[in-house]
Amino acid sequence: MCAMPLDGVRILDFTWVVAGPVATRILGDHGAQVVKVERKDPPPMGNRKLGLQCDLHRSKLSVALNMQHPRGVELARRLAAMSDIVMDNFSARVMRMWGMDYESLTAVKPDIICISMSGLGHTGPRSSYVSYGPTLQALTGYTHLMAEPDGTPAGYGYSYADMCGGYSGALAALVALWHRRRTGKGQFVDLSQFEAVASVIGPALLDISVNGRTQSAPGYNSQEGPSAPHGVYRCRPLDTDDDRWLAISVRTGTDWRRFVVAIGSPEWASDPKFRTLYLRMQNSAELDAHVSRWTIEHSAEEAMAILQRAGIAAGVVENGIDLCARDPQLQERGFWPEVSTKKGPPTHVTGIPFKLSGVSGEVTRIAPEVGEDFDYVLGELLGLGKSEREELVAEGAVWP
Amino acid sequence: MTELGPGALAGLRVLDLTGHRAQFCARLLGDMGADVIKIEPPAGDDARRIGPFLDDLPHHDRSLFFWFYNLNKRSLTLDLKRSRGADIFLQLARSADVVIESFAAGTMDQLGLGWDILHRENPALVLCSIAPFGQTGSYRDFVADDTVLSALGGMLYVNGFPNHAPVRPFGLQAYHSSAYFGAIAVMLALLTRDRTANGQWIDLSMQEATAAAVEHVAGGYFERNEAEPRRGTLHWSRFFRVGKCRDGYIMHCTLGDWTSLIEWVKSDGKAADLDDPNYQQPMYRYLMAEHVFEVLDDWVKDYPRDELLERAQLLRQPYATVRPPEALFDDEQLIERGYFVEIEHPELNRKFRYPGAPYLFNGTPWRVTRRPPLVGEHSGEILRDELAMAPEAIAVLAAEGVI
Repeated sequence: MCAMPLDGVRILDFTWVVAGPVATRILGDHGAQVVKVERKDPPPMGNRKLGLQCDLHRSKLSVALNMQHPRGVELARRLAAMSDIVMDNFSARVMRMWGMDYESLTAVKPDIICISMSGLGHTGPRSSYVSYGPTLQALTGYTHLMAEPDGTPAGYGYSYADMCGGYSGALAALVALWHRRRTGKGQFVDLSQFEAVASVIGPALLDISVNGRTQSAPGYNSQEGPSAPHGVYRCRPLDTDDDRWLAISVRTGTDWRRFVVAIGSPEWASDPKFRTLYLRMQNSAELDAHVSRWTIEHSAEEAMAILQRAGIAAGVVENGIDLCARDPQLQERGFWPEVSTKKGPPTHVTGIPFKLSGVSGEVTRIAPEVGEDFDYVLGELLGLGKSEREELVAEGAVWP
Repeated sequence: MTELGPGALAGLRVLDLTGHRAQFCARLLGDMGADVIKIEPPAGDDARRIGPFLDDLPHHDRSLFFWFYNLNKRSLTLDLKRSRGADIFLQLARSADVVIESFAAGTMDQLGLGWDILHRENPALVLCSIAPFGQTGSYRDFVADDTVLSALGGMLYVNGFPNHAPVRPFGLQAYHSSAYFGAIAVMLALLTRDRTANGQWIDLSMQEATAAAVEHVAGGYFERNEAEPRRGTLHWSRFFRVGKCRDGYIMHCTLGDWTSLIEWVKSDGKAADLDDPNYQQPMYRYLMAEHVFEVLDDWVKDYPRDELLERAQLLRQPYATVRPPEALFDDEQLIERGYFVEIEHPELNRKFRYPGAPYLFNGTPWRVTRRPPLVGEHSGEILRDELAMAPEAIAVLAAEGVI
């Protein structure tokens, strides 16, 4: 295996569900050895050998330790002593209860880095709240700000909070590692996923605190300066699928003139009511209806090609099949790498959205089953002989 | 926090050439103590023309959009299209650790500032290029805003109701995902440099960063060869859905302790068939999600939402209220943790509350060292201190419009 950016870094990973596993997966994809500690019977989340669960847990090792058993905890502490970073996404009390919190771990590893990615943080009156990504999105305002034109909540279909939390966690780990290499000092990072997702609606929060303005769902109004037309427009069906759309964004006067030429300079486009950006925004419903009459005559792919040739921002509203099987750009860049499995045929996984020119990351290993790396972790890492391992299994401290 | 030591990234110099699509990336590093010099065209960064504006008065020093993304940066104006401007940039790059740019692919080469040149001038430099579709491939020269990226990244399609138009996600998520990945990639390159002494060129695709943020879409395809549908407010996992209370919306969650939830619903006389033992199995609740939420919707409809939330959390049920973002400013949890920070804008003689740190580092605090810069505010000081330029030479550059 070729060198990777985090070769030699070991992470003891207590995270579960989505946000935490996203963070440690990013580190694992770049060469860190991620030892995932889990229960024998984690809540059923789906097949780990392909699809989402594989993406979340790939590039990791798994060992099933019984943290209710003193010897299970002892094994975890020995693993922490040989790790650089310990990560979890429990509420504050869990790691403390096990004696696996930062203060306790500095006794076995003085320069340990602990990243705790709890829902609402370790301090404050609501630190014990139970939360998941979708509930944190609701608490921060995302759900409120995504609505149909009549105000009906309309999302989310996914959990952006988990991603923000996960990315922040990975970044925090790398920053703390950088600092430790320069000073020899570890530290404790108390990351609040709630705050991580609140942070990325910054401009809206400033509009509230500075201008006192109440925020409402922007719908298809551009969130980066006035634009019109701006939105999604229905396109010609693909075979029997009529759920085909093109996103279009026309901002400047130059964009508008190119756009009009690209769609064949129809007569309506010279109507004075569409002459300026201000007028186009004022009359956007009528404008959108005209644009839709053009897009419906084309496949989304054709319409995108026509507009992009004219330098107009336009893109197919890609569904999962478009994204993973049809999009030529993602294929050409190898964004869905194939990874081999031990038993079945190879599977595709979600790639890494950036490439480093020299020493880069790579997905080399699909997700382990629970406890799959028992022999390696207990035997090679902890140096326990066969009889000791058997004894620990018999005692119920670890599951093979 | 009583002792403010230096930030974790103190001593790192970042040159930030990004426009409004990627400027959050360098801010993430500046918040951790890196010295970030934002390099803007003489007329100011394009983000300065994006609202909202302070008191709704559009002006390049009053854009709240610019303010949020440019905290903890200094500003140097520089016309990179002129050889003198590009030359000054190269001089700065010789002593910098990181350059972050978000021009259209190929622009840096056209400016004479491509990777080969930067790497030759400073082999330890990390260059992070954040482009809509990356530096290669047949869409390389396509143009996109956040809406178009969310479309081509598979994010837009899955929001909204079946048989309705897809609804646009709120909050420039394509840009933010890219910025986070950019900062992560920069740190990876810097850590690698410890070993190799060499910088690297990072090729980041915003389309890919967007696709990576909706992993269930790819997961659904690679697991079942299906396109994930739009499901309204039902989360793809089928364990969360928005419900309507007497005075607003809440987020249901059926992943908490089912027995205690159903005891509560039952005590309100609203459990219908949900006490059937089959529902103890998460998989059964997953399969029956539409029915489960219909029953739960009927249960919550007469509750005041805050009362529902309090009681749910006492039972450790992961429920939440659907709050408007205004509510964050009165949120006891955020206040107690010191999330909002007051930042002084001396030029306006005013203070404003900004959203602050999402993480508390006990050794190296996140902090605000600078309010967002005025256009070119630090041009003179940077040219004088970093490049030892004489006042007369700086005056000439200003007169010629290079800075």
